[in-house]
Amino acid sequence: MAKQNPPLIETVDLCKSYFNDGMETPVLFDIDLTIREGEFISIMGPSGSGKSTLMHILGFLDTPTSGSYLFRGQKTRVLHDDELARIRATRVSFVFQAFNLLPRTTVLDNVILPLLYHPTIPASERTERGMKAIEQVGLTERATYFTNQLSGGQQQRTAIARSLVTEPDVIFADEPTGNLDSASGIQVMEVLQNLHSKQGRTIVLVTHEKTTAEYAERVIHILDGRIATDTRDFKRNHAKNVKHLK
Amino acid sequence: MFITDTFATARRAIGVNRKRSMLTMLGVIIGVSSVVLMTAVGASMEVLILSQISSIGAQSMVVFPGQKEGVESTLAAGFDSLTFDDVEALERLTTITSVAPAIFVDIPTAVYGREKTQPRVIATTPPYFQNREMPVAVGRVLEERDIMRARHVVVLGSDIADDLFGLEDPVGKQVRLGDLQYTVVGVLEPVGTQFFQNADEFVFIPLTTGRAVTGQKHVNVITLQAVGDFDLAQADVESLLRQRHGIVNPEGDTDEDDFIVRTSQQANDILGAVSLGLTLFITTIAGISLVVGGIGIMNIMLVAVTERTREIGLRKAVGARGRDILLQFLFEAILLTLFAGIAGVVFGVGLAGLAALIVDKYLESYDFALSVPAIGLALAMAILTGLVFGIYPARQASKLSPMNALRYE
Repeated sequence: MAKQNPPLIETVDLCKSYFNDGMETPVLFDIDLTIREGEFISIMGPSGSGKSTLMHILGFLDTPTSGSYLFRGQKTRVLHDDELARIRATRVSFVFQAFNLLPRTTVLDNVILPLLYHPTIPASERTERGMKAIEQVGLTERATYFTNQLSGGQQQRTAIARSLVTEPDVIFADEPTGNLDSASGIQVMEVLQNLHSKQGRTIVLVTHEKTTAEYAERVIHILDGRIATDTRDFKRNHAKNVKHLK
Repeated sequence: MFITDTFATARRAIGVNRKRSMLTMLGVIIGVSSVVLMTAVGASMEVLILSQISSIGAQSMVVFPGQKEGVESTLAAGFDSLTFDDVEALERLTTITSVAPAIFVDIPTAVYGREKTQPRVIATTPPYFQNREMPVAVGRVLEERDIMRARHVVVLGSDIADDLFGLEDPVGKQVRLGDLQYTVVGVLEPVGTQFFQNADEFVFIPLTTGRAVTGQKHVNVITLQAVGDFDLAQADVESLLRQRHGIVNPEGDTDEDDFIVRTSQQANDILGAVSLGLTLFITTIAGISLVVGGIGIMNIMLVAVTERTREIGLRKAVGARGRDILLQFLFEAILLTLFAGIAGVVFGVGLAGLAALIVDKYLESYDFALSVPAIGLALAMAILTGLVFGIYPARQASKLSPMNALRYE
């Protein structure tokens, strides 16, 4: 189904190197990747493989060293900082491993934070949109709580609500269960899966945990800065493998 | 991002770190409150000095005997350069009127019945009371006939009258000054301090009576008034006295003179110089303390930028532009200094009020006064401090790369 949708993200020969004291440290090599609208994709790999760097580049937090990145068909290397900020404000959003919520601030105020920087949504709609996003993660009753009064799972759901509030084209989730116990982790993953299956949201999940990656339909393995495998219909294949092993 | 959002965000950040914000503001609070306090004291002093010298009317002059080479004349006798002949010559000047010579008579005590007090006895003529703006409360002041007959009459300052008579009516009563009895003919209105002397402790006897008692040939002070152009009258007085005293002084260098002419203009000039000096002094102190306070603010803002690196990263990740972050931190610094400025003004006004209460106990007619322009300037300086010292940390914050900022531990 997702295959027929237009590509949202397309990279061609995308490379990334870091430079320290004139020393070049290459991190990503020749990444060719297409993500279509409505896909739920996991990027897996051991730490240091470059998976987070790839996500940062795809999420407009970082820029590639060479190669091209097209977002909705538009080349991104020609964009200025302000334009990148505008894309981050309107098109993409993030869920972080460490939640990155503002302390001593209510759930609602955290959730509507991106709307402060949104170029078109008027201030009068903020609360309504914020409450709607909070409802989608099931935290309506906690909207006025300070985030430090919440459990880890609730904090991450707050962060997910924050990523929904601008109605972005794609949500990037970077190890969203990394700081959670397994029960909370499952809760958070179910929220994400629902967003995908019920609302057709595009989700890019970065993880090194297989159980978390399994929620996605497509899994990309990154090894030493290259795409090692790209498995579609992951669940079916995976199920087959499991059966086979048995 | 609306400006109101930036404002609200900055205000919240200050509120979240209330304790540290208070400590940060302390430098600016001290700076601003010391400016307000010092300028208030300056303003009060100005009012005080003005009230002291305003006893010389705009058309009035006071001539004291002096000594060449600018040794200060003293009110307590000593110099004898002014004579009664000088007084007569001055009276003949057409640019001058209301000439009243006075001599200080050394009589240590005034006695009425069992009451005793220490007056300052001045022997003078009727115009003195007009020149010095000393109105009578009961009875009358000295009159020409008292002078003519060298009568033993006395006009009392209000404090002396209180000391000797209390609630009794002094007019017509006999007061002993030294060895002689004087009849009280009048009591003056309280006039407070003039030239930092309590004028209410003066008692006045006729000039002729004073001369008979002391045998003094010279005059301690001459008060007079200009008719028409003041500068012209002053020049007339000075050239007349120089001519009579044989002083060659075409440049008008007052150090060469053996007399001193004091005018309200002069007093105003001195006051102006003093208050200019004071203002410069205060401005320097204020400038230093605001710079110190500003460096404190910059320091804390830099700490805040480091401490809130992840917050900055998050804000950038959700779409904040560099300038949004810049404005947020700049607003924070300006708000800090604005609050500090307001607190400093309140604190400074309070201290100035307290100072006025205390000083008033020792220095009569010291009143609470504030320098409003100085308060405005101090506030503006405080905000400017926030702006100047907030820009660097704010720029640092705005330049952070969102990814690095998010990774920051």
